[in-house]
Amino acid sequence: MAGFLQQVIVGLGTGAIYASLALALVLIYRFTGIVNFAQGELAMFSAYIAWQFTAAGVPFWLSLVLALAVSFAGGMLVERVIIRPVEGAPELTVVIVTVGLFIFVNAAAGWIWTFLIKDFPNPFPGGALHVGGLSVAFSTLGVLAVVGVVMGLLYLLFQHTKIGLGMRAVSANPDSARLVGIRVGWTLALGWGLAATVGAVSGVLVAPLLFLEPNMMGGVLIYAFAAATLGGFDSPLGAVVGGLVVGVAETLAGAYVTAIGPDLKVGVPLAIILGVLLLRPQGLFGRAVVERA
Amino acid sequence: MSELTVHDLHAGYGGAQVLHGVSLTVGEGEICAILGPNGAGKTTLLRALSGMVKGRGSVRLDGAELLGRPPDALARLGVAHVPEGRGTFTQLTVEENLRLGAYVRRSGVEDDLERIYTYFPALKPRLRQAAGSLSGGEQQMLALGRALMLRPRLLLLDEPSLGLAPLVTRELFHIVRAVNEQERTTVVVVEQNAHLALGVAQQAHVLETGRIVLSGTAADIRADEQVAQSYLGYRV
Repeated sequence: MAGFLQQVIVGLGTGAIYASLALALVLIYRFTGIVNFAQGELAMFSAYIAWQFTAAGVPFWLSLVLALAVSFAGGMLVERVIIRPVEGAPELTVVIVTVGLFIFVNAAAGWIWTFLIKDFPNPFPGGALHVGGLSVAFSTLGVLAVVGVVMGLLYLLFQHTKIGLGMRAVSANPDSARLVGIRVGWTLALGWGLAATVGAVSGVLVAPLLFLEPNMMGGVLIYAFAAATLGGFDSPLGAVVGGLVVGVAETLAGAYVTAIGPDLKVGVPLAIILGVLLLRPQGLFGRAVVERA
Repeated sequence: MSELTVHDLHAGYGGAQVLHGVSLTVGEGEICAILGPNGAGKTTLLRALSGMVKGRGSVRLDGAELLGRPPDALARLGVAHVPEGRGTFTQLTVEENLRLGAYVRRSGVEDDLERIYTYFPALKPRLRQAAGSLSGGEQQMLALGRALMLRPRLLLLDEPSLGLAPLVTRELFHIVRAVNEQERTTVVVVEQNAHLALGVAQQAHVLETGRIVLSGTAADIRADEQVAQSYLGYRV
């Protein structure tokens, strides 16, 4: 039993990372209806920026803040320069543009920093908290806390600030948002900036676990897609719950189902995506749109 | 509160011209009804006034040119447009919809919420409800309330009666009249239901295929039997 719970704890730790990237995916999807395939690569790029600051001798937490700020500006820039021209184009066009962005960002990171892996400083102390027969690594606690804080801040932003209300209005009805005086273009850019910032958190959390290299987010993106699908692509809370469930499911499947084992566990998110799409397409927390005429 | 002057307004969608040189003046604090058959360009006229479609010519509010500005800029100038289909933020709550109406304003928002509840007491018990769950009449009231939250200088109403029960429509026009009297808001209302619109308006214009074919006081137009039969679809 203790062994099982131990696996669950490990799963929650990795799940929290998936949750943070899923949260970024969900943010952009809610605002613009775009599934941003480049979200993971943007997060990887942000992690490199943080690494660059630490390599220059800047203390870790300050590097993180700087990287988040750069990511925010970068996300807005991506929306203005790359997404804006295809705004209103068919979905397929926009999807292909984000796939192109994926390849571009990946190659750019390789060109700037090479494809050799880099050691990324772990912000959390080593060691673990021992409760009963279980041990919870401080880094797991740290990751869970960070994701919790991000989630809380987003909730406050959306539910309790005027700018958050404006953002929700834009996602609900852009035409009406314009008519009440909201600058819709800037609000969409703000959404991308915000998503890039949330994604950056996930990149910085992943980097110390997987080592920093341009392809590190590829797998994480698949898990994040599974998390967002499971939770509901339009639900931030769903993204977090979905991320945790996917993390636990993956860990348990890898540990206990011998047929799967550590090699095949990447199949777990795919099975989850397929299962959700068949059984409950709107996800656990997503809204199937029902309206009175 | 403000005078609207439209001069030689042309507007349309892509290559299709809908308005062919519309000119009209709405005096400060007046209600102006735009009547006419389907496809006459009534909705396009309102959209041009609120910046939702591009236009050529001139649209001035107290002398300031409105044409060429995007809708969000016009909202900041005090133009409130209740669009066709009401434009409700369906997933947001009733209260959030109302607060969005005052998005560009900084002070007095709480007082104005109370003011809206006195006009529309039916909305008050539903503040926390998703706006999409309201009935059609309630949604139309919400849309009007949202527009009033801007404290508009110019209020544009597109077919407020559409899809509503006659009793609800009458109540709605009653409120439009009350708002206009109490706050001296200049109103342009587009309506299929000519009888109702002429009941509240001081002046009216009949639009046909993008041109004004008849203008006059609401009373004159109501009295003109030929107009009534050919454009307004009822006998006096």
